[in-house]
Amino acid sequence: MKSSPVSQGRRALLLAAGATLVTPLVQAQAAEDIVIGGSIPMTGVFAFAGVGINAGIADYVKIVNDGGGIKGRKLRYVPEDTGYKVDVSVAAFKKITSQNKVNLYYGDSTAFSKTINPELDRTGNILMAGASFATELNDPVKYPNQFLVGPDYTEMFGILLRHIAKEKPGAKVAFVYSDSEFGRDPIDSSEALAKKLGLTVPVKIMTPAGSVDVSGEVIKLRRAAPDYTIFHGYILAPIPEFITQGKQQGMTTKWMGTFWTMDSSTVMKMGEAGDGFMGVMPYRYYYDTAAKSPMLEKIRQLHPDYQSTAYIQGFLTAMLFTEAAKRTLNANKELNGKNLKAALDSIKDFDTGGLIGVPITIKGNSIPVGRVYKADMKAQKMVAASDWIAL
Amino acid sequence: MRIGTLKETYIADAALFDSRTQKVWLALAAGVLLLFPFMATDYWLYLACLVSINVASACGLNILTGYTGLVSLGQAAFMGLGAYTVAILELRVGSPLVLNLLAGGFVAMLGGLVVGIPSLRVKGLYLAIATIAASFIAHFLFANSAFTGGTGGLTLPPAKFLGLVLDTSFRLYWVIVPVTVLMLLGAANLFRTRVGRAFIAIRDRDISAEVLGIALLRYKLLSFGLSSFYAGVAGGLWAYFFRVVTPESFPLSMSIFFLAAIIVGGMGSMLGAILGAVFMTMVPELLKLGVALLPHGAELTVFLSPVRTMVFGLLIIGFLVFEPHGLAEVWRRVRRFFHLWPFRN
Repeated sequence: MKSSPVSQGRRALLLAAGATLVTPLVQAQAAEDIVIGGSIPMTGVFAFAGVGINAGIADYVKIVNDGGGIKGRKLRYVPEDTGYKVDVSVAAFKKITSQNKVNLYYGDSTAFSKTINPELDRTGNILMAGASFATELNDPVKYPNQFLVGPDYTEMFGILLRHIAKEKPGAKVAFVYSDSEFGRDPIDSSEALAKKLGLTVPVKIMTPAGSVDVSGEVIKLRRAAPDYTIFHGYILAPIPEFITQGKQQGMTTKWMGTFWTMDSSTVMKMGEAGDGFMGVMPYRYYYDTAAKSPMLEKIRQLHPDYQSTAYIQGFLTAMLFTEAAKRTLNANKELNGKNLKAALDSIKDFDTGGLIGVPITIKGNSIPVGRVYKADMKAQKMVAASDWIAL
Repeated sequence: MRIGTLKETYIADAALFDSRTQKVWLALAAGVLLLFPFMATDYWLYLACLVSINVASACGLNILTGYTGLVSLGQAAFMGLGAYTVAILELRVGSPLVLNLLAGGFVAMLGGLVVGIPSLRVKGLYLAIATIAASFIAHFLFANSAFTGGTGGLTLPPAKFLGLVLDTSFRLYWVIVPVTVLMLLGAANLFRTRVGRAFIAIRDRDISAEVLGIALLRYKLLSFGLSSFYAGVAGGLWAYFFRVVTPESFPLSMSIFFLAAIIVGGMGSMLGAILGAVFMTMVPELLKLGVALLPHGAELTVFLSPVRTMVFGLLIIGFLVFEPHGLAEVWRRVRRFFHLWPFRN
């Protein structure tokens, strides 16, 4: 008998209703899963990183599950798009934690990490990491259930300044940063460190985050004649403009950046101006084959095309989440924020499979290690300019 | 007009709630609001609080833009003033919640009075641009003062009310929603008074209003002040709700959000402000739920998220094109159908 459109509609409605009723049962069956929640910016200004982070976490979760999970328990990754808005990120957190028993969480911003911290402390169930490298979060007393997947911004500056002090003792280093929480984060503490390392900071220039016309600032920078100029608090603009105008005015300073500027695709957008651009990177680039790195090899097998450093960050986050959960379960302890953090803190000289070139140890709330890379525009690649520097 | 509703006095004609049916519906709505926290998950409670804060702020902007005809893009800045006032009082003085919220409202009101001064000379888009300046000035003050915690902002302890620590959405609901309801009632009553009617007269034709004896200076500034007061209280609630106040918490895009809310909801209508704020806050969340119901929706999140954002944009454009009077007009049409029932026209 041929079914009428009405009966098809009714059937669809019944199926939908049935699915709604069955969903809690399915979730109940999957109660033993270890859930990684994620407020991920898949749209909005930070989507360029969010999409990579999402893929990185999802890929590592799949690798773990394909290998049998953690002590027989599967990982389940539940992401939600946030558009990089704090209120939406918190809504995503509430939604995911209302519908799942979440033990691990990825947050998308400093503002979110700060906003959700009281909730993490109150519930005590979740260990969280995220896209933020804010120095403020590197405080185990104030943020006991969070950690940074790399060095904080002050530590990033520390790595660059140590490299500079070794390469050119007594060098003059200029800081150019955005007028934002992100931009101002490491400036004062890094100025003090520069002095301690025997370096001088002849000028600090603050610009609006998305500024276009920087000619006045470039003149100020040229007058200071720094040997090195470190940009922070930007993704790309106005860095190319600074470099182009600086080079036109005969500046010989070496230009540098921090993590969120340092993805290969971002630096390559600088074009010819970006040749020789240097910066700190806590992870190996996708195409870095200089040393043995089985995890990078696995990523290259999964994706023949370039994967961003945000992808590597997401991948490594999931790896550290997994390790913390594994250690907690091996100690026959309950999966909660306190135990997971204690397990994470017990990580000493951990092999990341080559994602980071040296074995890592969690110190405070961060992993204070990184390396200086340099742009080779001819090869369209970032190449190592220093050895791994651990603080 | 509802069938069978006879009004014999001016007082009855001006009453806020004029029929038994309306009162029954209001009682039902109050019942739902009372029962909601006991039935909802933390997620829905969070959204209810967020919607409530947005309704309060949109209601304030509606007084200024919808009823007085003065376009403002400074609403987020005024919310910021309220939020920072509450945060500073909570951290440094430890004064009670109600007092802090009122202080937040009054500080924002003072800010509104200052920002409103150009409204005496400029209108429309020119005024909107002038009010944008408020956002930039407020951001500069918040980011560069040690008093406001600089770019790192201020982190608040949980609010306390009658000795109870309000550290969950469930507990905050009992403060945020009643305050919003009070503010809505206040605004609704405002337009039954001389002040409210003066606002409407200014919106319809300011020169005629002046000829009628309405002092433009006083009433325009009053409208700015009231609107900012609402924003300040909403900002204070926001500070208690999120407990972290930074200069980046109140961007210009937030002001645009509220302007869009009252346009989509229907300017110059209390219901419009409510529906607009609900629409702008909830539709992105409901679209997310819709996407999750699609086959493989969870796996396709990364691809469907931009589509979802576009659908939200198209919905806003759709409302502007097909119902320029906003959601309030759609609601009125539905109501009219039932009011006239069983007659068709």
